[in-house]
Amino acid sequence: MTYVKPLPELTHEDRPFWEAAREHRFILPRCRDCGHIWFPPYSSCQKCLSFDREWIEASGRGTVWGYTIMCQPYVPGYADEMPYNVVLVELEEGPLLYSNLVGVPDEEIRPDIPVEAFFDDVTDDFTLIRFRPRNRTGE
Amino acid sequence: MSKAEFSGRTAIVGIATSDFKALYGTDPERTREDLATHAIRDALDDAGLKKEQVDGLITGGTVHYEPLAYRAGLTDVRFCVDYPSAGRMCPMALMHAAQAVENGLANYVVLFNSLCFRSNQVKFGMGGGWMGTGLLYDSVYGMASPGAQYSLAFTRYQHLYGGTEEQLGAIPVAFRKHAQLNPVAIMQNSMTIEDYLAARYIAQPLRLFDYCLVNDGAVAYVVTSAERARDLKQKPVMIGGTAGRANFREWYVDLDFWADACASMKRDLMDPLGVGTDDIDSVQVYDNFSVSVLWGLEGFGFAPKGQGLEWIQDGRIELGGELPINTSGGMLSEAYLQGWNQHAESVRQLRGQAGPRQIPDCQRILYWGLSALPSASLLYVD
Ligand SMILES: [Zn+2]
Repeated sequence: MTYVKPLPELTHEDRPFWEAAREHRFILPRCRDCGHIWFPPYSSCQKCLSFDREWIEASGRGTVWGYTIMCQPYVPGYADEMPYNVVLVELEEGPLLYSNLVGVPDEEIRPDIPVEAFFDDVTDDFTLIRFRPRNRTGE
Repeated sequence: MSKAEFSGRTAIVGIATSDFKALYGTDPERTREDLATHAIRDALDDAGLKKEQVDGLITGGTVHYEPLAYRAGLTDVRFCVDYPSAGRMCPMALMHAAQAVENGLANYVVLFNSLCFRSNQVKFGMGGGWMGTGLLYDSVYGMASPGAQYSLAFTRYQHLYGGTEEQLGAIPVAFRKHAQLNPVAIMQNSMTIEDYLAARYIAQPLRLFDYCLVNDGAVAYVVTSAERARDLKQKPVMIGGTAGRANFREWYVDLDFWADACASMKRDLMDPLGVGTDDIDSVQVYDNFSVSVLWGLEGFGFAPKGQGLEWIQDGRIELGGELPINTSGGMLSEAYLQGWNQHAESVRQLRGQAGPRQIPDCQRILYWGLSALPSASLLYVD
């Protein structure tokens, strides 16, 4: 079946990120000069403007900052899934990123729910990082 | 020159808006250039100026200065510039006009915004793109539209401070009442809180009527010096100042609901003039989404932090209430002209020309918009 949802077009900035996701690794760029960790994976550090970045393995742990339930067919391919959730996850490493929360009914999603990343192979070439609830004591 | 010294040295002397209601509905032959030319002609008439006197031109939207200048016969301007089409830019364009006049670049600056979003069937909210290159970290997850981002922030706000969707409905309901007193407003049907709650969710918890309209129309202003303004037709509306404070975050919404940005703009805009929240007679808000009203009220200090939803109840933000907001219906009910229609309404109110919507003895109006680039303005009459 053809995957009709949007997929990223890889650039020099984010190719390592998506290639790692495909290998089921969640990596984030870190500045070799000042230690700042950022996302999306721009080439340069937003704190000190260094272009000397390295990649670290992310813990995959975070919490839901906020969520919304999408009820309007804005995005091609997502219309059939409405209503579906989008969450903004605050990672332990600091950055925030949009994703979907899986494994909990939409009406039970609340901010501050602890979550962990998992890998969703949406096509042969692309893996998205999604999140599921994590047991707060099971860290 | 300090902000306090600059205040009141320039004025808005002419305004015009389209009949948004008459334009609602699509016309494939309608053009932004025609709408803009119409608005510019009417704004010059309003000011009592001839187009030959115009020597500055600022475009605030999707029309570029050159095709417009041909049509509007503005053949000899000394200063012109295009602003990007975005709501955040209205105060910026206004300040640019004022600075151009103050610094002798031009004597009479025309500025306008003109949109054909409805006729051109512009779709909003496709996601992605604003980060540059091909970076795409929202729509791959089905995230799209600023509205969904504000909605997501509202769940955080509710989590921290409580409050209900019904309480939020006081904002669209108030603006609808105002629109019903404005013959050019698009949304003329009455809307109760029950009607608001019965509407479908777009991005839950935000509903259809938390979202601004998509329509066609234009707004134009004429700005000149306070001195020249004295000889013109209308009571001059003084430009007190404008302020901006960027909040560039990839997720767009501010994690503290724009508290810092609003406090910063208040310091820049109101403090130098000795103007406090009690001195403001009305607020006009860039109501892209209802929650922008809520968070600005808290950020500028009208409502205590976390208590804005309670604060807006019982008609407080309606005409006749303590702080009437978006008295022409705002972008939720009058028209979406990216904040330009709100400034036109401010001018009408400050001149005393708002008819059945007139706020008695209206002297100072504050405007704000909350986005990746929050901006604000203060207009007043002596
Ligand atoms: Zn760095």
